[in-house]
Amino acid sequence: MVRLSLAALLLRFLFGGGAVVLASVLSKKLGGSVGGIFAAFPAVYLAALVAIRLDHTGNELVARSISLSQGALIGMGINILCAAAVGYLCAKRGWKRGLSLSIGGWFAVSLGVSYLLFSI
Amino acid sequence: MTMHTNWKDLLLRFLLGGSAVVLSYAASVLLPWKALGGIFATFPAVMIVAVLMVGWAQGSARASEIARGSVYGMAGCAVCVVAVLYFMKTTGLWWLSLGLGLVCWYLSAFLIYKVRRSIKSS
Repeated sequence: MVRLSLAALLLRFLFGGGAVVLASVLSKKLGGSVGGIFAAFPAVYLAALVAIRLDHTGNELVARSISLSQGALIGMGINILCAAAVGYLCAKRGWKRGLSLSIGGWFAVSLGVSYLLFSI
Repeated sequence: MTMHTNWKDLLLRFLLGGSAVVLSYAASVLLPWKALGGIFATFPAVMIVAVLMVGWAQGSARASEIARGSVYGMAGCAVCVVAVLYFMKTTGLWWLSLGLGLVCWYLSAFLIYKVRRSIKSS
């Protein structure tokens, strides 16, 4: 049976949070065009990718990374739709409702797409 | 006030970024839907915090602009994922794929940034 250890979860939490904060601080410190570019650094994806190295090596590491990246590619498509929805809904229904609806939509679409991919 | 907002902003980013990586890991270990782990790995934590903070301080119209602008940043991230996936599949070399993915991300993000600026200024 597969189990999750608290230490493994905590390590990933610190790693993911740290990566996002580091990219945000770098973006502000660098400023200008480079800072603007770093504002959209794919920190969560890269942190998740590097975190796979904690458990796997060799061919298993590459196979797991490919699997994660395939899901991430679908995720990026959903994110672009989600950001467009946030932009539209914030203007139409206010930022609180717009953001909440879009995050809910992101979660529902992600689960739906994963379920469809698993079922087919 | 700015310092206080900065710390709140960074704390939110830390919490959402950390949660996304934990969710991605838990989903890939516990669920049979392997794609879900990858999808959670792209949780738009930075965009959500940016919209939240700007919406709070400057209202819905500015929050809407931030969300629309983030679409371009996400396009650059998608290039990074495609590059990592391509190089990982063709070379099987993990570090090389990660490095080339980062190079492709930076080049595409730079190009998108320049195109956006020239469109805005024209």
